[in-house]
Amino acid sequence: MADPDNRWNRRLFLHVPAIFLVLFFVLPLIALVILSFWQTENYKIVREWSATNYVTLATEPAYFVFFVRSLFLAIGVSIFSVAVSWPIAFFIVRHGGRYKLILSLLLAVPFLSGEVLRLISLQGMLGPTGLVNGVLLKIGSAPLRFIMYSNWATFIALVYLYLPMVVTTVYLSLLNFDFRLTSAASSCGANRFQVFCEIVWPLNLSGTIVGFLLCFIPTLSASLAPRFLGGPSGVLYGMSIAQQFGESGTWALGAAMGVVLFLFSMAVLGVFSLGIDLRRTGFTGMGRL
Amino acid sequence: MNASLDGVATPYIRIAGVSRQYGQVRALHDLSIDIAKHEFIAILGPSGSGKSTLLRLIAGLDRPSTGRIFFDGIDVTDLPPYKRGIGMVFQEFLLFPHRTVRENLAFPLRMTNQPQQKILERLDWAEAILSLRGLMDRYPNQLSGGQQQRVALGRGLVTHPTLLLLDEPLANLDRELRNEMEVEIRRYQKQLGIPFVYVTHNQEEALSMSDRVAVINGGRLEALGERQTIYDHPPTPFVARFVGKSTRFDGAYNPATGQIELQHYNYAFPYSGAFERKGDVRAEVFVKNERFQLSPWTAVATGIACTIADIVLRGPFVEYILETEAAERIIAVKPKTSDQAVLGTKLSLSWDPAACHVFPAGR
Repeated sequence: MADPDNRWNRRLFLHVPAIFLVLFFVLPLIALVILSFWQTENYKIVREWSATNYVTLATEPAYFVFFVRSLFLAIGVSIFSVAVSWPIAFFIVRHGGRYKLILSLLLAVPFLSGEVLRLISLQGMLGPTGLVNGVLLKIGSAPLRFIMYSNWATFIALVYLYLPMVVTTVYLSLLNFDFRLTSAASSCGANRFQVFCEIVWPLNLSGTIVGFLLCFIPTLSASLAPRFLGGPSGVLYGMSIAQQFGESGTWALGAAMGVVLFLFSMAVLGVFSLGIDLRRTGFTGMGRL
Repeated sequence: MNASLDGVATPYIRIAGVSRQYGQVRALHDLSIDIAKHEFIAILGPSGSGKSTLLRLIAGLDRPSTGRIFFDGIDVTDLPPYKRGIGMVFQEFLLFPHRTVRENLAFPLRMTNQPQQKILERLDWAEAILSLRGLMDRYPNQLSGGQQQRVALGRGLVTHPTLLLLDEPLANLDRELRNEMEVEIRRYQKQLGIPFVYVTHNQEEALSMSDRVAVINGGRLEALGERQTIYDHPPTPFVARFVGKSTRFDGAYNPATGQIELQHYNYAFPYSGAFERKGDVRAEVFVKNERFQLSPWTAVATGIACTIADIVLRGPFVEYILETEAAERIIAVKPKTSDQAVLGTKLSLSWDPAACHVFPAGR
């Protein structure tokens, strides 16, 4: 690139986002890591280097329990969301016709209100006097206790919050999928199930995984949804972090928990991106064949 | 139309009175074609004529609204594509992008549960016959257009299908490659001895490869016959216009002289055929561009007066772009000769009355 104008343009294009990322992403992360090696005493930060926080996390079984609980919840919510998203996205792409765009935008409608608002409205649905249990009581039936302030309620809320993300990703993936390949496969003797397993699923796998991760990672650290809908028992990892930075004032421990979460999420991303041969998902880096 | 009985002794594939309606739109109308076992048949028609719909019906990718389809005496109308034992090659190749050439070729064999030994055998066969050596472990996007086309053909042929359906398979290839593949595809068909049904809008392709041609227009069968017959004796004005390169003239039949007189030109030629309805006098006249006779203009010339506006060299042929006095352009194709024609030369254009096609055009 000898052309100076061009070089200037390139700088502008690359440097602005780079500076933004360093300022607001890399630096805070470094600060978090540093903080995790300091201590907090009586709501004050003590600049004393040690790995105490990490030792606490490793030895105190409660944190491990919170983490595993969050992990199972996140896996459950993500798998459930993917399973529900596929038929929805498939239907929109195949039968949406000219309403395709509107239908896919409709899924984003809940996003138009704030997250807290959405959680509160869900509280109105699932709570002891909410719509579901209210109706059940009216008709003389026993209320569904498991959806009242429990991790099941959190599960429902998280699916509700992140389903649009997953549907949108799967929808975009299917939108770019060449459905004529299914005709080719059935002319090769594949039945509908084989067409799905051999062609449709693998060729949309990368999109599906992106959708899965877009749901999995925020769910793993969820704190708002369990705070509004979860019960007193069954503390989740994200709630625990929020607590460290809130009531208990143990910021350094919270920071260490955050670092662990970050590293774990990175590891999950790494496993997915290394473990999947993009070629086998039809990804050529050159657009559609 | 009695086309289904046209010269086929034992129909291997029988398409019997098939129609397909999409809502109010009739894509195919009461179409019948019988195909013999060793036959290469071209379905020729302009885009939107219903030829691809017909192919999808034969493949089982779509169902006819009425009519039946038989393979070797068995009614397959209600069978899904995977139970029909067909092979199919698509215009866009439609290879599976996430599978190597080897896996693409093995796919139909795996889907039909062939034993491993058989799969390896057939892969070797495909590799050899389609000259795919060294390409078997590549992905489709690492292949050239011609190579992709050969893999697509291989995928269609590898299972010994009852018949092979080809949907404009050469449309995405450049001219040179196309000519090469035309010869090759025809060779495979002769070797394998199964019917090939070849859909195309390209009349040259249809004529160069097939044994018989079915011309489809507006969802109806316009003509079905040997390629030479279709070319030399088009049964309808549409076929005359669509097959081969020809020029159309308006004319009128003069019962007094027994001649067709052209509308814009002082040219007439004898016509011995009968106009079907009494009072039909208007006629459409089609003359194949290579059937024009050219002679130097003289005072006693009886042909259409025209001048050479341009000369286009096409290898062994020359196209004379002629301009008539009615400011129409006519193309006459002649073998290349050594003597140079000069632009602007005045010529007399005529044709052998037996070599043109006349259709009554009503009043």
